[in-house]
Amino acid sequence: MRTLILVFLVACTTTPLKGPPTEATCPDATNPALTWNNFGYDFACHYCTNCHDSSLKLSQRNGAPLFHDLDTLQGMMIVSDHTDEQAAWGPAAHNSFMPGAGTGGKCPSVLGGELDENCPKPTDEERENLGTFLACEKLRTQDYTDSDAGVSDHCANYTGPH
Amino acid sequence: MCALVLAGALIPARAHADHHTMTMPEDTPASSFDASVSILAATFSTMFYGGDYEGVVPSVGWANERVGAGASWAYYRLLENGLTRFGEGDLVLHAQATALGEHDLQAGPTIAVSIPTGESELGFGMGHVMVMPAAWGAWRRDRLAVTASLGYSRALVHASALHDHGMWPLVEPMNMSEITWSAGGELAIAEGIRAGARLSGGVPIGLLPGHDRVVGTARVAWATGRVDTAAELQAGLVGDPFNIRGVLSTSLRF
Repeated sequence: MRTLILVFLVACTTTPLKGPPTEATCPDATNPALTWNNFGYDFACHYCTNCHDSSLKLSQRNGAPLFHDLDTLQGMMIVSDHTDEQAAWGPAAHNSFMPGAGTGGKCPSVLGGELDENCPKPTDEERENLGTFLACEKLRTQDYTDSDAGVSDHCANYTGPH
Repeated sequence: MCALVLAGALIPARAHADHHTMTMPEDTPASSFDASVSILAATFSTMFYGGDYEGVVPSVGWANERVGAGASWAYYRLLENGLTRFGEGDLVLHAQATALGEHDLQAGPTIAVSIPTGESELGFGMGHVMVMPAAWGAWRRDRLAVTASLGYSRALVHASALHDHGMWPLVEPMNMSEITWSAGGELAIAEGIRAGARLSGGVPIGLLPGHDRVVGTARVAWATGRVDTAAELQAGLVGDPFNIRGVLSTSLRF
């Protein structure tokens, strides 16, 4: 009977949807290859901000938590640990919960829209790059007003595919 | 589904979906089984989420004069930040004993364990096993009954893996490590009808992040034959467990 109970306890315990920290590292914190300009901006605006955007009302977020807004570098870095645990790959974990797993694989095709299309999925390489990018940005002294560095770019200006 | 099988195979029980809220039947027969169902509806507004949920909580139990055990398992519709989801909550197993039972005074230990059958990321479950031991006491005189409990609840997970998301899950929020407490009273106001109020809550302790929680409850219960029915109106007073929640439950003893 005890064995039966143990078997059921294990079987009934769900697999965690959120992964542990990826423990991704930054190869060169003084001169990172991946920046908000050449990677983070496109990644966030393409895969994340139709739900995780600071302009969205509560009812438009499709379950995305408040204050988890990835439409700016500052917004992304405020919740960088969560982003790492939900979407990034690294030596310690491959986290692929977002985008899509929390919404049955469906995403909005427009900002704040209905879940009307299959979520675009980052490639394995993009997820690894996300982990590295976040690791480097955490080490960098942040100046979110330095427009020359491109860090003030906002997804409202994004013209690529969502 | 597996949770239902487990519940059925493991125990009959006096279920406690709301952890240890010290509801002891006044005239428990020598030994009895019960089957009950609760329906509930709540609105919530936390730091990160806003919305509402509705749930149905079937439970089964068994008790005699000294011991009791049970299991309950909830199923919810949850609207959070504009998205509606459906899912089961965590399975809760519960047992309690009467260590002291003299005249008007009763007291004893109780323990509840929640099994993480609910999806943690979606707000339906804690994401890990919770162990919730407590002590309870009840004093009765004439038409008045006063009850209280004090316990400690702890998630079986390493503290270093946690971030402060506030209490979790959305549907039955608790801290990872907390002192739990409750105190309340009931008055028999007519034949088979009782009315009362209760305060319950949690105080986070230890290195794990957390928030105080206090819930106030007004309750009326009535018994007809083998059927007990209760209606509760609950308010989240501290810590945003919910704004307001209504619970209607009915139990059949046999």
